[in-house]
Amino acid sequence: MRTAAKAVQRLAGLALVFLGVTFVIYLAVFALPGDPIRALAGDKPLEASTVAALRLKYNLDLPIWEQYWLYLGGLVKGDLGADFKGRPVLELMASRWPVTIALALTAWALEIVIGLAIGIVQALRKGTVIDHGLLALTVLASCVPVFVLGVVSQQVFGVKLDWLPVAGVRDGWPASYVLPAGVIAVFGLSAVSRLMRGAMVESLSADYVRAARARGFGPGRVVGVHALRNSLIPAATYLATDLGYLLGGTVIIEGIFNLPGVGNLLFEAIRTHEGPTVVGVSTALIVIFLITSVLVDAIHLGLDPRLRRA
Amino acid sequence: MKQPAKLQRAVALAAVAALAASLGACGQSKDDGDKGGGGPSGAAHADTGISVAIQEPDHLTPGNHYSSYEILIAVFSPLTILNDQEELEFLQAESVDSEDAITWTIKLRDGWTFHNGEPVTAQSYVDAWNHTAYGPNAWVNSGQLRNVVGYDQTHPVEGEPTATELAGLKVVDDLTFTVELVGADRQFPFQLSDGQTGLYPMPQAAYEDLDAFDKLPIGNGPFKMAKAWESGQDVVVEAYADYAGPAPTISQINFRTYIDTDTAYTDALAGEVDIAAVAGAKVAIAAQDFGERLHSLDAPGVDFLGFNPADERFSDVRVRQAFSMAIDRAAINEAIYSGAQIPSTSLTASTMPGSPEGVCGKYCEFDPAAAKSLLEEAGGVEGAVEILFPGGWGLEDVFEAYANQLRQNLEIDVTALPATDWAEFTDKIATGDYHINRGRWGALYPSQQDTLHSLYTAAGDGNFATGGYSNPQVDALLAAADAAPTLEDSFEGYRAVQEAILADFPVIPTFGNRYLYVTSDRIADLHSAAGSVRFAYVELAG
Repeated sequence: MRTAAKAVQRLAGLALVFLGVTFVIYLAVFALPGDPIRALAGDKPLEASTVAALRLKYNLDLPIWEQYWLYLGGLVKGDLGADFKGRPVLELMASRWPVTIALALTAWALEIVIGLAIGIVQALRKGTVIDHGLLALTVLASCVPVFVLGVVSQQVFGVKLDWLPVAGVRDGWPASYVLPAGVIAVFGLSAVSRLMRGAMVESLSADYVRAARARGFGPGRVVGVHALRNSLIPAATYLATDLGYLLGGTVIIEGIFNLPGVGNLLFEAIRTHEGPTVVGVSTALIVIFLITSVLVDAIHLGLDPRLRRA
Repeated sequence: MKQPAKLQRAVALAAVAALAASLGACGQSKDDGDKGGGGPSGAAHADTGISVAIQEPDHLTPGNHYSSYEILIAVFSPLTILNDQEELEFLQAESVDSEDAITWTIKLRDGWTFHNGEPVTAQSYVDAWNHTAYGPNAWVNSGQLRNVVGYDQTHPVEGEPTATELAGLKVVDDLTFTVELVGADRQFPFQLSDGQTGLYPMPQAAYEDLDAFDKLPIGNGPFKMAKAWESGQDVVVEAYADYAGPAPTISQINFRTYIDTDTAYTDALAGEVDIAAVAGAKVAIAAQDFGERLHSLDAPGVDFLGFNPADERFSDVRVRQAFSMAIDRAAINEAIYSGAQIPSTSLTASTMPGSPEGVCGKYCEFDPAAAKSLLEEAGGVEGAVEILFPGGWGLEDVFEAYANQLRQNLEIDVTALPATDWAEFTDKIATGDYHINRGRWGALYPSQQDTLHSLYTAAGDGNFATGGYSNPQVDALLAAADAAPTLEDSFEGYRAVQEAILADFPVIPTFGNRYLYVTSDRIADLHSAAGSVRFAYVELAG
């Protein structure tokens, strides 16, 4: 009984949060300057009568709360509404998510593999030229503006060397995703490697690692099992949060590399004041952030047995 | 990853070529179907297909699109069209005649079909036009039918329509229909050309499911849609075997949508896309990167600066003239466009047939001393002056340049003010919250009529950009020019119109446009008319 009541309470809370957030987003889109219909045709403005008919069609003449009420009514029936081009928002999102997910996971995998490797190497070679060199390199790389890195990598790998496609997704995974994912990963690398290095340095000098060494375990087992597992927590926390961020779609990268993902959809939708699209995509993003925060907790539990007891 | 793919393609092409040679000729092979996901890069290049960079289309219904022209001109054929020599030719029409320039008889060519096999008939046109002109459909190109009798009933400015069909359209027989216009207009055949997509035909099949038609239009043009358009994906069209017009030189076009035109440019540099448009301000670097493969096309568009009619500071015509004389068009053209645009000396693009070049006279010539004394004579301008333009479209440099020149040459406080986007830009003009505005008009058909009517009459679509300019004398002169019996007479008429407008000097004419395209080395030549590339008739290299 008690758990059921608690669950209901929890769900009601979630529903309230959902309503509040979607309404605020709706309000924000509504508050953008300018009339979306008037700007529909760029510098060829529409006739007054056409504008009036379009405003009627998209309920833009109704007060904001009434528009929102209509939107909620559709939502209950699983209808997320349509944009000004008449395309259902659900369909738009369905066609965009696979691109963003593929991009995010590729970038994430690169961050994990390369970031952790750099951090471990730095920790093992603490204080040497390798340590300082890798630190300087990752920090420097992450200081270059993403836009510059994107365009330069296109010029080098796409045009000059001609190894990878410049843009678009028509070569599929992995060819089309390596370059943009690599650019994104560069920015995560410095954080992941620094967190990994710090934790690893600490673990390596911890008593239990010294004890393991004293018992005669080889360096592979000491580093790979004893030190690594305990050093993963900070980097893993960062990586889990980062995945949520990556799945939100990276507007700049998707733009430069012409990837039709959700970041782009959201950017275009905000530019053209497409209320239903903005709310639909943002809601999905909120859900993703909720899921990744659960994921972060789960990772902590998995890596740190002390938390399980509490 | 990509190198082997390219190699593969080269091998495949060589194999196809060898096969074709051994068979001794044969036309285009029809085997370039779907290559499937993850196929070799640049799959669009198979056979004699090309890829073209475009911006995401909006609608593919001709009566309701504003940014899908490149696709529509491939899928549909207009009644009339400009040829390479910029002369009007009949395409789907066999003839377009009128005794009095009020009632026009349009005869269609026999034997043309839509891509579903349905014959193109007079009814295909009348139904499509009625649909476009019906107000509650809210199709954005409805205004192209404004001069047909009955438009005020199907699309009244206010209130409910009182008719569902245009009274001025009559089907005579299968291949003939008549159009009755509100006033005499000898330019009507020009209006039927490719730019006015609201006057394209639609098959009966379209009305069964207009939403489906919007994604998968069935046209009467040289190419048919390979599959329905999906957001974020290429739009692929392939040659229509039963096309009754001139056969296209290529078998397939991949319209590739780009979010960022700079990316399209880099893709063209890598040879991944065959034709891409380039922003005017990038001309210098494009000339360096592409050399001969940078194409500069004379376009029917004009740029100008308009004034807020409610701002008393600009009410004296001498102030507006002084502003115009204080702008060094040639210097801006050199500095920002590397000389690729055309400094204006009239209100229409210099390539527009009969454009009265030089009619603007000394007021379009740079003369800072005269400008300054004229402004002083008019009492000067107090306070800050802002030039409003839409931000984020690469216009920042040129508007900074306008502001700098006005500030230095007239010694007044002028700044360039970017609006965040189109919505804010149009909104500020609509609500009068501006001083000077950016104006532009791209004519839809090759007659001065379009630019002059759209910008300088109260009913014109672009009238807001000229501060709502209208003048009964100009209206009368325009009507006379429209009705002029010959082309030469109409040129005389439009010259008189421009002289009358320029006496009022409502805007500062700045530049006539040139559109820039870069091409891959697969393209030998682009054929174009009035600034638009005829993609179907691109000349391939080798």
